[in-house]
Amino acid sequence: MNASASLESLPESLQAAFQELPNLHITETSPRRLKINLQADALPAFLELLKGRAGYIHLSAISCVDWDESNEFELVYHLWSYQVKTLVSAHILIPKKPGRYVSVHDIHTPAAFFERDIHEMFGLYFEGAPDQEPFILTEWYGPPPMLKSFDTEAYANDTWNWQDYQPKWLQEIEANGGSLVTQKEK
Amino acid sequence: MSQKVIPVTAEHNPDTDVACREIDKQERSLLGKVIDRFADHCRARSLFILHYCTGCGAIELPPTITSRFDSERLGIQPMVTPRQADILLITGYLSTKTLKRVILTYEQMQGPKYVIGMGSCTINGGMYWNSYATVKRLQEYLPVDLYIAGCMPRPEAIQQGFLQLIKQIDRGEGNAWQDYYRRYDQYLGNQQALFGPDWHTPTDVIAEAKHYNMLGEHTEGEHTALLEKFASAYVTNAKTNTALQYQE
Ligand code: SF4
Repeated sequence: MNASASLESLPESLQAAFQELPNLHITETSPRRLKINLQADALPAFLELLKGRAGYIHLSAISCVDWDESNEFELVYHLWSYQVKTLVSAHILIPKKPGRYVSVHDIHTPAAFFERDIHEMFGLYFEGAPDQEPFILTEWYGPPPMLKSFDTEAYANDTWNWQDYQPKWLQEIEANGGSLVTQKEK
Repeated sequence: MSQKVIPVTAEHNPDTDVACREIDKQERSLLGKVIDRFADHCRARSLFILHYCTGCGAIELPPTITSRFDSERLGIQPMVTPRQADILLITGYLSTKTLKRVILTYEQMQGPKYVIGMGSCTINGGMYWNSYATVKRLQEYLPVDLYIAGCMPRPEAIQQGFLQLIKQIDRGEGNAWQDYYRRYDQYLGNQQALFGPDWHTPTDVIAEAKHYNMLGEHTEGEHTALLEKFASAYVTNAKTNTALQYQE
């Protein structure tokens, strides 16, 4: 969608904010939901701008996607304004190597929480974040588990034993004509 | 501890003039059995459950317990603290993190105690079978009396499970909790494999095993030896057995 075309239908405060920054790619994914792709280094200014001009004081989540083929992380900042009542999702791409980005906790305090989580789950380091220590995982010594390159099934195979699916009592039931196993498709 | 111990038999007791009839071993064990069976019979009719509800299956418990299915008909009702509960009901997936809490809770409960694993997740990880965080087989870490399969099991199935447990206890077969004392080394070993060699709980399981007279061949071993560094005046040193002294 053409950026300027969609701009006209937006609330005025948003239009004004968006006009200040070049290179925004705006898509209206559904009514009152905007997807905005921008350059990674423009994001902090973008957040400041929305916060100051359009009341986007609520950063509800930062999500991370690991794009294996292009070797990039996609960070999505979900923002909400109680005046404009439109959800803005700001998408940026970060190269996996060296895998560093700046923390935005000075703009939105809760960001520190999400950044710490992403650091643990994806290994992306946020410079200037107050805390990047291990967070939710327990006794974890492996690689960041949410990476596509992490083989969770192999890890499970190494760590746990599988249940016995043909225990003696079940074999006895089956020998007597009963069965808990569904019939194989022909 | 320096209290004088009065032996039961008169023969070894020159200090008192209480002459007790010596009860022969077989007679005593028979009496014990009758009392145990009677106790089991009563016990099976009044069970308090402590439900560990981090799994989604917990949503089936309110109907199970309240008027529609009313598990109190079976003498089963919820209890708020581990120390007063008989059944530990695990209602779904356990992650490495929550398993720790479950073990801590289980060890606080007083014997006899029973564990029900509810839902496929406790059996084999359920739909999280290939997750890096979901524990696959609960019975490796705690002695499980009964699994209720299903994702999630309906209240009827839970009720059926309760009935089966009651039957087991009534027949004197609900003895999985003794296994925890008899083979503590193995359970601890599995726990350590997951939580690291520094894993220990505040409960002195070895001393309890002694107290219940359930010290087995596999209560102590290479894994409990690792607990040594946490031994104190209150917790048994697995190697030397020094902390708690019982008068024989
Ligand atoms: S067995 Fe199914 S309902 Fe129960 S905790 Fe697992 S996923 Fe949830």
